Amino acid sequence: MKVAELLESRRENWRELDRYCMLVESRRARTLGAAATQRFAALYRAACADLALADSYQLPPNTVHYLHQLVGRAHNQLYPSRTFELAAWGEELLYRLPQRLFKDNCLRLAFVVFWGVFLAAMINAYLSPERFPEQVVGKEMLQQMEEMYDKPLQGRDPNQSGVMAGFYVQHNASIGLQCFAAGLLFGVGGLFITISNAAILGTVFGYMATLPARDNFFQFVTAHGPFELTAVVLGAGAGMRLGFALIDTHGWSRGASLRLASREAVPAACFSVILFCLAAVIEAYISPSALPYAVKAAVAVFSSGVLLFYFVMLGYPREGEHATG
Amino acid sequence: MPSESAPLDTRIEIVTPENIAFQYRLAGPFRRLPAYLIDVLLRTSILFIAVFAIGLMMGILGQFGLGIGMIMVGWFVLDWFYGGLFEAYWNGQTPGKRLMRIRVVSDEGQPINGVQAVLRNFLRSVDAMPVAFVVPTYLLGLLSASMNNRFQRLGDLAAGTMVIVEEPQRHYGVARVSEPEAIRLAADLPANLAISRSLARALSSYVQRRQAFPWRRRAEIAMHVAEPMRVKLGLPPGTSHDLLLCALYHRAFIADRVNETASSPFAANAPVAAGR
Repeated sequence: MKVAELLESRRENWRELDRYCMLVESRRARTLGAAATQRFAALYRAACADLALADSYQLPPNTVHYLHQLVGRAHNQLYPSRTFELAAWGEELLYRLPQRLFKDNCLRLAFVVFWGVFLAAMINAYLSPERFPEQVVGKEMLQQMEEMYDKPLQGRDPNQSGVMAGFYVQHNASIGLQCFAAGLLFGVGGLFITISNAAILGTVFGYMATLPARDNFFQFVTAHGPFELTAVVLGAGAGMRLGFALIDTHGWSRGASLRLASREAVPAACFSVILFCLAAVIEAYISPSALPYAVKAAVAVFSSGVLLFYFVMLGYPREGEHATG
Repeated sequence: MPSESAPLDTRIEIVTPENIAFQYRLAGPFRRLPAYLIDVLLRTSILFIAVFAIGLMMGILGQFGLGIGMIMVGWFVLDWFYGGLFEAYWNGQTPGKRLMRIRVVSDEGQPINGVQAVLRNFLRSVDAMPVAFVVPTYLLGLLSASMNNRFQRLGDLAAGTMVIVEEPQRHYGVARVSEPEAIRLAADLPANLAISRSLARALSSYVQRRQAFPWRRRAEIAMHVAEPMRVKLGLPPGTSHDLLLCALYHRAFIADRVNETASSPFAANAPVAAGR
């Protein structure tokens, strides 16, 4: 059979497959009926067979290109992307993530680096409040902080709180995610951002502790402190996970090691975003309010308890069906 | 026969579960950049519309602060989750990518899942790295894409994805030879003519494109293959090379026997003029 006859006989099928592709592109494949889907699959297999035999049929190049493109399109329609499976999220968030984080060396490193630099900066700023804070943070920021905490906290009107909640979410979570992304640069980017954030925060804490306005300041930061600081460390740790996977590949190629690490790092980054959102809500509504200090301290203790429960109780390695190896 | 070394091209070969190998065309920066710009435009317009709508609603309700807060949260979500959610739910396409007809697939040709979509968009901030004031220059992403045989930027490398072009093409059928002299010449060729695969491929390439060339150029191109064939087939020396290749093509691809034309037996033997 000559190519021209062969093409004439196959062209109708290819055109039909083309029409099915366009139909599915305009709506998802689930809305085709069962019969239509079966026909689509059958046409796809036939086009695959044609492509496989293109060489022996001696099909001309333009037909071969057309077939490549047609089979590619149909392949993408027939095997569509797998979206998020909400049912798996619960298991991921409550079972697998805590256990992974419990054993995560990068998270421990981020924790140690962050808190080490934080405490060092705080002690330094407390001991020499004239020179050290200015060098690290700059005069304007110090003056700004002093002005903010001059008066005792009275609580904002609810409008302002709404604005600040959104602002904190956008600002802090963006920084957290940028820290995560910068971790890809061999972990160095994440370390750099972590150290600089910790230094600035610690300096501010130490400086404010020397001022008479320290009561107001500590009243403000107590309530949302646990969630926010944990979220920062978590984001940095997840980023370093990615970066260090490029260096310490455990025998995989660098690309494969990166992909394996990213499969684990993304849930941690998303969890840190959740923590940032919680911290933002608390920071906007509870922290600046005029509630007594006891309430804010209780909120801080409660959030620390929740975090402790999550990381230690849920994360402690256990035997059984959910034990990770 | 497959060639020894694959030609340097932006095509990547995928083997599917049906055990078929087909080729995707990779999307380079000149397709991805417009798609990204369209997405940025879309995000900005959504933000503007949201500002108006929410501002209006919240103004009517008197809750300005809450409205601004919602807008800030919306800005955050648009910034970081727009690409991820679209690519997960739209089979690897965002609106910008859909307009430019490109798609994200995993680098074995399989569809992407939600984690890959979200990760590659989170890591976009690294690819945008040398940020000049507010404008991201994406130099790190370009560098990574140019050092890779699949145009993968850093986010693609971490997520194991690549971006392919998916443009529907038209198929105009097999090229036909329109000159009746060529068809008559095809009848003159010996009946047991065997045409090898490489010759068949060359013939189909030639016939597909010969319409674009003037006739002198056609004769010049056709000469290299047609002259040895003419000698081999024992045709008279004045035979037009272009028509000989067309005749060979007709014989190989279209038909073995020529339809009965109303031509005299002498006309079939007349040499074809060399000037055509």
